[in-house]
Amino acid sequence: MSAVVEVSNLTKRFGHFTAIDDVSFRVEENTIHGLLGRNGAGKTTIMQLLTGQDFATSGDIRVFGQSPVENAAVLGNTCFIKESQRYPDNFKPFHVFRSAPWFFPNWDEEYAQLLIADFRLPLNRRIKKLSRGQLSAIGVIVGLASRAPLTFFDEPYLGLDAVARQIFYDRLLEDYAERPRTVILSTHLIDEVSNLLEHVLVIDEGRVIIDEAAEDARGSATTVVGPRGAVDAFLGRREILHRDGIGGLASVTVGPLTGPERAAAAAAGLELAPVSLQQLIIRKTNVSQTEFEQSA
Amino acid sequence: MTAISYAPATSASRRGRMNRVLAVTRLHFVDIWSIFAVPFMIMIFILLVNMAIWWLILTSISDPESRANAQEGFSYSGASFYIYVYMMVVAIMTINLTFSFATGYGVTRRNFYLGTCIAFVTLSLLWAVVLTALSYIEQATNGWALGGHMFSAIYFGDGAWYQRVFLHFVGMAFFFFVGAAVATVYVRWKASGMLTFFASLVVLLVGGAALVTLTESWPRVGEWFVDAGSYGVAAWLLVPTALAAAAGWLVLRKATPRT
Repeated sequence: MSAVVEVSNLTKRFGHFTAIDDVSFRVEENTIHGLLGRNGAGKTTIMQLLTGQDFATSGDIRVFGQSPVENAAVLGNTCFIKESQRYPDNFKPFHVFRSAPWFFPNWDEEYAQLLIADFRLPLNRRIKKLSRGQLSAIGVIVGLASRAPLTFFDEPYLGLDAVARQIFYDRLLEDYAERPRTVILSTHLIDEVSNLLEHVLVIDEGRVIIDEAAEDARGSATTVVGPRGAVDAFLGRREILHRDGIGGLASVTVGPLTGPERAAAAAAGLELAPVSLQQLIIRKTNVSQTEFEQSA
Repeated sequence: MTAISYAPATSASRRGRMNRVLAVTRLHFVDIWSIFAVPFMIMIFILLVNMAIWWLILTSISDPESRANAQEGFSYSGASFYIYVYMMVVAIMTINLTFSFATGYGVTRRNFYLGTCIAFVTLSLLWAVVLTALSYIEQATNGWALGGHMFSAIYFGDGAWYQRVFLHFVGMAFFFFVGAAVATVYVRWKASGMLTFFASLVVLLVGGAALVTLTESWPRVGEWFVDAGSYGVAAWLLVPTALAAAAGWLVLRKATPRT
């Protein structure tokens, strides 16, 4: 497998604030990557560094094997859609769709028209006057129709309703199946996209805390539910990610369980529930939060 | 570990780069309505208002000598100055918003700046030709039949066509590149950059004025302008214009698009 993005020991500081702290990861070609994490975790900063929009303090970034900074050969193969994208004053959506093909060699006009109809985007209204959702739709359409070999979506669907979001997910998957490319998607709506993602990269306070295949990440935790005594006896000295309890009942999230362990839990009358990606990330980011508070 | 690597620069990819530069130039012109049609119509409206005022003044004066005086006064018109300020605002918007937009399309800062410079020069030339043409029409119609002056105002001189084109071209380019350079300071350093910039500018201007006053050289400054004439001043204007263009690039090359 070949890497489209290779990042090693990347650090980005803004004054005394360390936004990205010694991060290393790879993004394989033709995968849909989720870049997940809380607000201010550093997701947007990573995308800005990967697209040469911002400059690394230290470390190395390779995109298509080269540094992306001021590199037209690399950046010409990327498309970066951000939630906060600003448009020239007085621009209407049709100005965007007229000019986009000049910048994206793989632009598919027919597909763009199809998406415009899907999202019911008015083309002849000032962008300033569009609703939040319509504004997001412009970015989503450009991101999909540009068919850039490496596409970044940074929280692309703020204000999009559930139907429009589903259209986005469906279109992305369909088009990705026909024309594989590398997509890096950052989002808060983790459960909504969890079936879309092949690989997840979770960032917390500028560090990578999860970097694995989405399938493995989903299987990497289990919630054990049952009477408190039985749960505690079963778990022993295992590392606990999260603990809830009501009365005599306990619900405890732990790491992966092996087959025999699962059998033992069932024999002890305990229930095992899968942990959704979103739950897992909440648990993991909370853990590092408390550790941080304890050490401070 | 293998990484996909792209072929080194060849003549084909150099052509590709030129295409990306020109794509940026075209991007500035995609909304031709706001950068040319609207300001042009506003300019024509200002002309009509001026004509009404000239007519009112002339109908209220019956004495021929006073009329001639009034018409001489018309030649001190600053009405067409508006178009310069409008284009400066266009330049500021371009750097502030179009830069952020184009970088999302995977345009490098360098290609953005080159494409933008070509757009500014093209627009300057376009306006210079339009303003020159209007100055000839104005003179041929004896000031729109009212002895008025808007495009043949006294500071634009009465030179040959190429001198007039040159004057407006340099004037436009000056406003474009100075506006753009100031906007790059904002894009790179935000509000604190603006404060520092304008504070320094005020100190420099007041310092310069103090220097001229203390050395009692205001008459010499005035003489310099008179000696240089409209076209001489325009030629000198090329120096700050080129400096602004260079400064804009030095600031923008390390700037991060606003989000």
